[in-house]
Amino acid sequence: MSTLLHSAPTSSPSFSRIITPRFAFAPITRISLRNGVRSKAIEAVKLENGRPSASEFVVSGSGNAIPSYVVAPNARVQDLVNRNDTRLRIFSGTANPALAQEIACYLGLELGKIKIKRFADGEIYVQLQESVRGCDVFLVQPTCPPANENLMELLIMIDACRRASAKNITAVIPYFGYARADRKTQGRESIAAKLVANLITEAGANRVLACDLHSGQSMGYFDIPVDHVYGQPVILDYLASKTICSDDLVVVSPDVGGVARARAFAKKLSDAPLAIVDKRRHGHNVAEVMNLIGDVRGKVAVMVDDMIDTAGTIAKGAALLHQEGAREVYACTTHAVFSPPAIERLSSGLFQEVIITNTIPVAEQNYFPQLTVLSVANLLGETVWRVHDDCSGGIEPYSSLGID
Amino acid sequence: MASSLLQPSSSSSLFAGTLRTLDFVDHSRARISAPYTVKCDMSESSNFVNGKPIIPVLNERTLPKFMESAREAKAVSRNSNRLKLFSGTANPTLSQEIARYMGLELGKISIKRFADGEIYVQLQESVRGCNVYLIQPTCPPANENLMELKIMIDACRRASAKNITAVIPYFGYARADRKTQGRESIAAKLVANLITKAGADRVLACDLHSGQSMGYFDIPVDHVHCQPVILDYLASKTISSSDLVVVSPDVGGVARARAFAKKLSDAPLAIVDKRRHGHNVAEVMNLIGDVKGKVAVMVDDMIDTAGTIAKGAALLHEEGAREVYACCTHAVFSPPAIERLSGGLFHEVIITNTIPVAEKNYFPQLTILTVANLLGETIWRVHDDSSVSSIFQ
Repeated sequence: MSTLLHSAPTSSPSFSRIITPRFAFAPITRISLRNGVRSKAIEAVKLENGRPSASEFVVSGSGNAIPSYVVAPNARVQDLVNRNDTRLRIFSGTANPALAQEIACYLGLELGKIKIKRFADGEIYVQLQESVRGCDVFLVQPTCPPANENLMELLIMIDACRRASAKNITAVIPYFGYARADRKTQGRESIAAKLVANLITEAGANRVLACDLHSGQSMGYFDIPVDHVYGQPVILDYLASKTICSDDLVVVSPDVGGVARARAFAKKLSDAPLAIVDKRRHGHNVAEVMNLIGDVRGKVAVMVDDMIDTAGTIAKGAALLHQEGAREVYACTTHAVFSPPAIERLSSGLFQEVIITNTIPVAEQNYFPQLTVLSVANLLGETVWRVHDDCSGGIEPYSSLGID
Repeated sequence: MASSLLQPSSSSSLFAGTLRTLDFVDHSRARISAPYTVKCDMSESSNFVNGKPIIPVLNERTLPKFMESAREAKAVSRNSNRLKLFSGTANPTLSQEIARYMGLELGKISIKRFADGEIYVQLQESVRGCNVYLIQPTCPPANENLMELKIMIDACRRASAKNITAVIPYFGYARADRKTQGRESIAAKLVANLITKAGADRVLACDLHSGQSMGYFDIPVDHVHCQPVILDYLASKTISSSDLVVVSPDVGGVARARAFAKKLSDAPLAIVDKRRHGHNVAEVMNLIGDVKGKVAVMVDDMIDTAGTIAKGAALLHEEGAREVYACCTHAVFSPPAIERLSGGLFHEVIITNTIPVAEKNYFPQLTILTVANLLGETIWRVHDDSSVSSIFQ
């Protein structure tokens, strides 16, 4: 506005100065923060209110060539910023808001506003507090314990987005509950992981982004695209930063089902040798160690699993490794389910360090000295961005109608 | 007429007898389904009444039994008519064995290929309202056999079959059960979708490569484990249980080998840790576990080119194994499997007949066990709605 005032005295100098404002506005196109855009808009309004004479100038000069030069580029630029920015929305469920916030920070965005509450009878209510019409929506919600509550919340969030005319809905599921129920081990059982996949698809999700599914085959339960993100690189980066001589390392799988995962880990860890704890389980969540296949004497044993639940398997495995002469035992896992009595077992001195990620939040009262929590936010944020960027192709022709 | 003749008589006992006779006639008539039979009975009854009043009662009682017998015969015929087995062209020998176990004949079906390679299927008998079982492994040539199965399923559906079960002793594309890298298909899931879409109501499959593959179907899947057939055979051989080590030829199959070891007197386990750098190319790295002086039983679900299992066996010999057995359910035997398996590495190679082995591919160490009885029993139980999982307990 001051620029406009300044240009009033002379016609030829004002022409040259009009060009400058256009260049000055260009940086706005790079701003990705929606709040930033709003902030500028508010400032403009205030300035206008504070200087009535300037406002009169604009109104009275409607027939003048100068005002049209000033107004048009500004409007176009602002529209461009708004349009690009509002197409990507990230909402968080209540299961892991800290991780969702971290992901949004990585992306330079704010989380979308959403109201989630429970009625007295336990039913879940979800309302989006902003428009998602035509948007690419990412819903961040691990289905960790309480699994059924968090799953239902996710389904209702998906349904809310669908009914609010979201263009694409991606369920970002850092921890996929029921993942271990991925096969019928006996007759007359459900395959609950498949059922959950069907429910998420039926609720209206167009895509799923999941972290370290218990078995790679579970991707096949969905008929929609699944991006499977591994937490392994985050853990490997951390281990590489520690001073463990690669000659001393043995990667250990705590059970026979996870040998392929441990082998992949060992391969990345300077082709380290592999050992397996052959346990034979006689009931759910009850473990029994039988024997060690391989050698860990004098070595640093790195136990690798996708999750730690009650920690029975990994604790008994670690005890066995110590008996077999391991110098130190590390536990590495992506998902820290930590059902009781996991904390007691993990903090009892069997482990030099327990390395987990934040796919599932760990309550502060459950922290113990050996625990290291790594973040998968950057990994997930980068994945979200790449998934979205594939979809963002220029300006939508109808968004100028202001339906958003 | 009989009644009117009897009426002049004044005896009350005769009157009662007449009533009883009438009841029987009515009853008998209600059960008779053939009009001709009714006429015949009437005629006979009339004769007896005229000549000997007592005899008609006796005769009337005999007829219902004949009718019941006829009804039973119809019931039997109806049951067996409702169960139909058909075979595709991939493994007719196994299908014939299954039918024989079940005391049935295979249904007649015409399957041929046109000059352009398209497959033609026609059922040569009615399957309307029937429980149809189509036996077809999708072994090499996988796409041909798979397409044939789908066309058989579609033919049955359009012929108003009541239930269609795809009996797939070997599920091709089973190994394509996950995306190991980006931009890949999950072909096992695709095949599951195709079979379901073709019209199958149920699938009966042997030893799927991964247990999770059952979840690719939204229809019921009965997963038949052929391990008991192999275990029975091994138990019949004289191998001391203290000499045994069960070996998994790769890390992916450790769970399968562990289950096998558990059934084999809780035998110890060893793993060949190989790191594969390309499809169908294997590279042995090292052995985890100990087989020195032992009889090593290598367990896998299938042998394809036999590269993995042959190099594993060579490693076991280097590590001091006394004898090496190879056990697997599916004998895919892509070249050069026969050369590798018969090269002297194995004491015995034990397979089942889920996939037929050409006679020219036989070699001295080869033992073929049959899964026909297992599949036949499973089909009976599926048809009868009896428990299938109790077979494996």
